[in-house]
Amino acid sequence: MRAFSALLRREVHALLVAPYVYLLLGLWYLLNALFFSLLLDYPQVQNDLSLLPQLLFGNGILLWLLLPVFPPLLTLRLLAEEHRLGTLEALLTAPVSDAAVVLAKYLAACLFFLLFWGGVLFLFLLIGGHGAALDAGAVAGGFLGALLCSCLFLAAGLWASSWSGNLVLAAGGGAGLNYALLFLPHFLHDAPGAPGRVAHATSIPLMLESGFAAGLIDSYALAYFAVLSALFLFLTWVRLVSRRWVP
Amino acid sequence: MIRADRLSKRFGPVSAVEDLSFEVAAGEILGFLGPNGAGKSTTLRMLSGYWPPSSGAAAIAGLDLAQSSLAARRRLGYLPEAFAAPPELRVSEYLRFRAGLKGLAGRERRARVQEVAQQLGLTERLRQTCGSLSKGYRQRVGLADALLNRPPALLLDEPFTGLDPLQRVEFRDQLAQLAREGHAILFSSHVLPEVDALAERVLILHRGRCAALGSRAELIQAAREEAPLRVVTAGDGAALEQALLGLAAWRLLRREGGALTLQAQGAAERQSLFQWLAQRREPMLEFRVLEPSLEDLFRRLVGPQEPA
Repeated sequence: MRAFSALLRREVHALLVAPYVYLLLGLWYLLNALFFSLLLDYPQVQNDLSLLPQLLFGNGILLWLLLPVFPPLLTLRLLAEEHRLGTLEALLTAPVSDAAVVLAKYLAACLFFLLFWGGVLFLFLLIGGHGAALDAGAVAGGFLGALLCSCLFLAAGLWASSWSGNLVLAAGGGAGLNYALLFLPHFLHDAPGAPGRVAHATSIPLMLESGFAAGLIDSYALAYFAVLSALFLFLTWVRLVSRRWVP
Repeated sequence: MIRADRLSKRFGPVSAVEDLSFEVAAGEILGFLGPNGAGKSTTLRMLSGYWPPSSGAAAIAGLDLAQSSLAARRRLGYLPEAFAAPPELRVSEYLRFRAGLKGLAGRERRARVQEVAQQLGLTERLRQTCGSLSKGYRQRVGLADALLNRPPALLLDEPFTGLDPLQRVEFRDQLAQLAREGHAILFSSHVLPEVDALAERVLILHRGRCAALGSRAELIQAAREEAPLRVVTAGDGAALEQALLGLAAWRLLRREGGALTLQAQGAAERQSLFQWLAQRREPMLEFRVLEPSLEDLFRRLVGPQEPA
């Protein structure tokens, strides 16, 4: 447990002191504030503020444009950088399991991504404080859904980061995986038969829009994000273990 | 303390290490010598638990690395060949992180970091970032890392690489001191004088196999059996060279005037040569075995490839 806690602290520290992370965070806040103010200008939103969580946390521009990209940009260094710098050998010969290495890196990225979404939540708190009639359940649910989706995308990004020491491949591969998770069900959504049903059951925008961002916590969606995240973490662990066999 | 039992490592059809067995006792320094690509780093990576062996077993302090990997690694300090620390971390931060990974916490961790820093002359560098250190100091950080958990076994892969001559001497003294404190040390090098100066026993690895294993004296004694012989005659060296061509057991390596260097196949041949020279009434000025060095043995075992 001490080793895990040391590893987690190190990973959080590495993210905290990396200048590029603050660039990402600044860009994220800027774009979110921009979208937020643009949405507030819409007459429909002004008439019905309950649309706001759905548009921001649900099936909106954030999900399609920013969310698949930012998590891999955060995770790209977690393993690829270790590989590139040659620090992986010292890490994997320390008395700590490969699973603990993967989990600590993932948890650090998830904790750090709270900061990203925290900024968006702050915007809601800001207008709520000024008397806007918001549906607290939808805001909280939307926040949770966005966080779970981010955790899934971070897990995919971590797996991509384990492929090699190439940071571009880590970021590009992670973003590609995330877009595939979003787009494949979207394209197959109207397909007849089983493919259509599978696409419907795995549609992340649908889960966020009609579930979390509407204030509904669906256990199926919770399990979907948890299982898929665990799958990517497992694949990351497999990659680390296989690196021992096939360097 | 460190045990390799018929260790083998294959990468597809390529066999990097084959059937390697040895032990390093507490307080002993074993030098791992071999040309580049001999399998030294592969062996150390197997012993560190980084790479699992294709066959055979490795144990640290009696703990099998395959069955009790974490427990074995807790008793191990490992300095990889290409040691690197995160460049943005200060030396003190890095060592604290590594100490935490090795199970140290709180006051004990702080004290131990200070202790190893002092031991390795890093106290003045603790606030410096790892990325700004010279190669020599990076190596020291790597060794400090390896020592943090007071491991009974130390594996050091090419620890002298990149060190200047003064640093080499200091580093060598530090390793000798660690051995005196009871650490079992296995270090690899392709630089023969480093091994010769430090190791009590030497393992010469060639093409993944153990070519020789023993103390320096044992290996040199073995090499002496086949060491060249120097014969100096006051007579005609060329005539003696011609006469020697008729002796099948001897090979002339070189002749400089009346001085001939000969290679025999064993000690018994030397006796017969001596008798043969006496019967010829050769006016000998010198008849002696050229004292072999570890380098001679190394050259003979690994062939034409010379140590760096």
